[in-house]
Amino acid sequence: MAALAAAPLSAVIPVPKAWAQTKTLRIAAGEADNATGTLDPAKSTNDPDAARTSLVFERLVVLDDTFAAVPQLAKSWESNATGDEWTFKLQEGVKFHDGEPLTAKHVIYTFKRLLDPKTASPGASSMATIDPAAITALDDLTVRFKLKKPTVEFPELIANRFTYILREGQPESELRTAAIGTGPFKVQRFVPGDDVSTFVKNENYWRPGLPKVDVVELRSIPEESARIAAIESGQIDLVWDLGRAGVAGLQQNPDVKVVRTRAPFVLTLSAWADTPPFDDVRVRQAMKYVVDREQMLQLVLRGYGNIGDDNPVAPWVKYALEAKTRERDVEKAKALLAEAGHPDGIDIELFTSETVPGFIEMATLYQAMASEAGIRVKINKAPANDYWSAVWLKQPFICSSWSGRGADDALAAPYLSTSEWNETHWKRPEFDAFIEKARATTDVAERTKLYQQAQQLLRDDGGAIISMFPDALAATRANVSGWKPHPQQSTKDFSQVEIG
Amino acid sequence: MISLLAVSAINFWLVEMLPGDAAERILGRNATPEGLALLREQMHLHLSAPERYWLWLSSLMKGDLGTSLVADRPVFGYIASRVANTALLSGFALLLYIPISISLGVITAIHRGRMADHVISGMVLVFMCLPEFVIGLLLISVFAIKLSWLPPLALIGQAKSFGELLQLIALPTITLVAAMSAYAVRMMRESLIEVLDSSYVLMARLKGMPTWRVLLFHALPNALGPAINITALNVAWMIGGVVVVEAVFEFPGIGRLMVDSIGHKDIPVILAISMIMTGAYIATNLVADLLIILFNPKLR
Repeated sequence: MAALAAAPLSAVIPVPKAWAQTKTLRIAAGEADNATGTLDPAKSTNDPDAARTSLVFERLVVLDDTFAAVPQLAKSWESNATGDEWTFKLQEGVKFHDGEPLTAKHVIYTFKRLLDPKTASPGASSMATIDPAAITALDDLTVRFKLKKPTVEFPELIANRFTYILREGQPESELRTAAIGTGPFKVQRFVPGDDVSTFVKNENYWRPGLPKVDVVELRSIPEESARIAAIESGQIDLVWDLGRAGVAGLQQNPDVKVVRTRAPFVLTLSAWADTPPFDDVRVRQAMKYVVDREQMLQLVLRGYGNIGDDNPVAPWVKYALEAKTRERDVEKAKALLAEAGHPDGIDIELFTSETVPGFIEMATLYQAMASEAGIRVKINKAPANDYWSAVWLKQPFICSSWSGRGADDALAAPYLSTSEWNETHWKRPEFDAFIEKARATTDVAERTKLYQQAQQLLRDDGGAIISMFPDALAATRANVSGWKPHPQQSTKDFSQVEIG
Repeated sequence: MISLLAVSAINFWLVEMLPGDAAERILGRNATPEGLALLREQMHLHLSAPERYWLWLSSLMKGDLGTSLVADRPVFGYIASRVANTALLSGFALLLYIPISISLGVITAIHRGRMADHVISGMVLVFMCLPEFVIGLLLISVFAIKLSWLPPLALIGQAKSFGELLQLIALPTITLVAAMSAYAVRMMRESLIEVLDSSYVLMARLKGMPTWRVLLFHALPNALGPAINITALNVAWMIGGVVVVEAVFEFPGIGRLMVDSIGHKDIPVILAISMIMTGAYIATNLVADLLIILFNPKLR
């Protein structure tokens, strides 16, 4: 025991003097970072994973804050007329951390591995349109993808958390903890389950002048009050995943900057459209008419967000439907319920949990609003740690959430008939057809119309009650600049962050 | 040995009863049936529960604590640094706890019924009633946020010198000491008062012996017995209480690891930690019994 007790002291033995001049950025995620942590983009699941991978790797394409594709490792791209063949030109002069130049073979390796069933990546199914056998190098810096189906939004499709470009030939065993990428930082120390992972500046980074700090320390502080204490006292320089109440307190502190980004993060109440009483569209509509959306926004989100209209595509996102927000109408809800054969109202059970901030408040407020129309909601609070495996997709009426996505992904992932994540059991061939057709339509106006028709159908007929989009809330010390949260939650770019 | 074996079996069975498995916890919301099957195979989760327990037990006999299902690395190296951190924290706490509780106990007993006694006993009562996470949060808000004397979180990886390490673990140590001392001070005070009222102490005083001699050589050794018992109980409590304190201060110790591992159903890690906790508990009780015999000639 005595030998063990000395171990932490060795960690605090004086470090070389140069250390004192290095600029260290200390960041803290909110989601727990524990033994499940990984650097392998194909296996990345939680938020600290997303932060780690974006320090070390880069993607062909990234999304800007309106969810439109912009270049990163790909300099430019073009498709054929039908949209089923895509050619990407890579940036010149990009090198991996070990000096290996980036070429087409690394891109091909990355996508083949990602789509290989043996990799068992949770991201593979969303990119099933790529034919792994038909990814080819036209020359060292040009890659061509042949798709199984025309996909006009292909660059957007591959701008996700799984598609970071790997170095071909790096052994699988190193990928988890000592991965090599082209990104602004190199891994110095990452041991899954230990509390801090450390990254150092990539001196040979291809974008001039970046990154602007020498060392990044990443840890997670799951307790929100602790995270706030850490940023207030200066133990941490940058935090995200803040709650509404915490941010209100931080705004008084001159040493701290609150940063917020409007995000199409979806908070939803999801009902199975094939299960009584939700199988009647009039019941689903009644359940939507009882919601006072402005009040939801003010009471659940303290105003830090935007109103939703039962449509997962937020109004400012590309292809969004311009619709008038559904006003609260209790009489209409009662009438709809009576018409559907429930003159005395209905009794339903709503599952909620602390797993996502706002779920409990949303459920409680919905219960109060719905009761006025005779919708008697019984709230069932489930444990937070296995909510997604024990309740989600298993209970007919639940609180759910979806991170911010572009229009196609936001519609397809939860609502296509064929989706594994169809949390509302809502299956409409017309809806599937709209999406399918939009993906193959090269004319922008025509494509917009198709996406909007899909949204209209979902809004009027679907089983999701989406009343608000919470902002992404974060904070930095006052001397930190060059960063704000990205509306695509899994994108964390720390290359521009500057201290002092 | 037998109790350790029993604890491991009971813990294994309890964790088995929790819904889900480690593979589900790792993949979470993105799980696909193929991914789950593959991962379960890698973790031997396709075997039955008794088979897995036997696998674990037989490798333990060979001195191998197994491999963490989730971290995918040997349990020994995984928990060693955490055990060391927790030992450091509890060691500091014990080091402060013993002189503090004895001296406060003595002060309150001698000044019984007077101002000093009222003030200290009142504070002790307050600390007894407050749960340790409340004490911890109070300390953070006063000493870290209001006064900015000390860092709020015990992120000991940030320490670059021994002095900084002391600053970082100051608040969790104080929290542990406050929660533990409360009972010990009260117990010390009661037993000391009883001894001070006894006839042999009166005799010693009548002989003209100075008060400090009476206290040190006659009263204290006799009053220590119950305090040692309380200390043993306190150490047992600390093994559990440290979980809460570690959570409040984000201290990278064994308690938080235990909570995380239960969340992930990482059975080899859970069993290893519970073995260590049980071992520590048995050891403290043994030491306490020996000490009591040492201080009490009647039991020798």
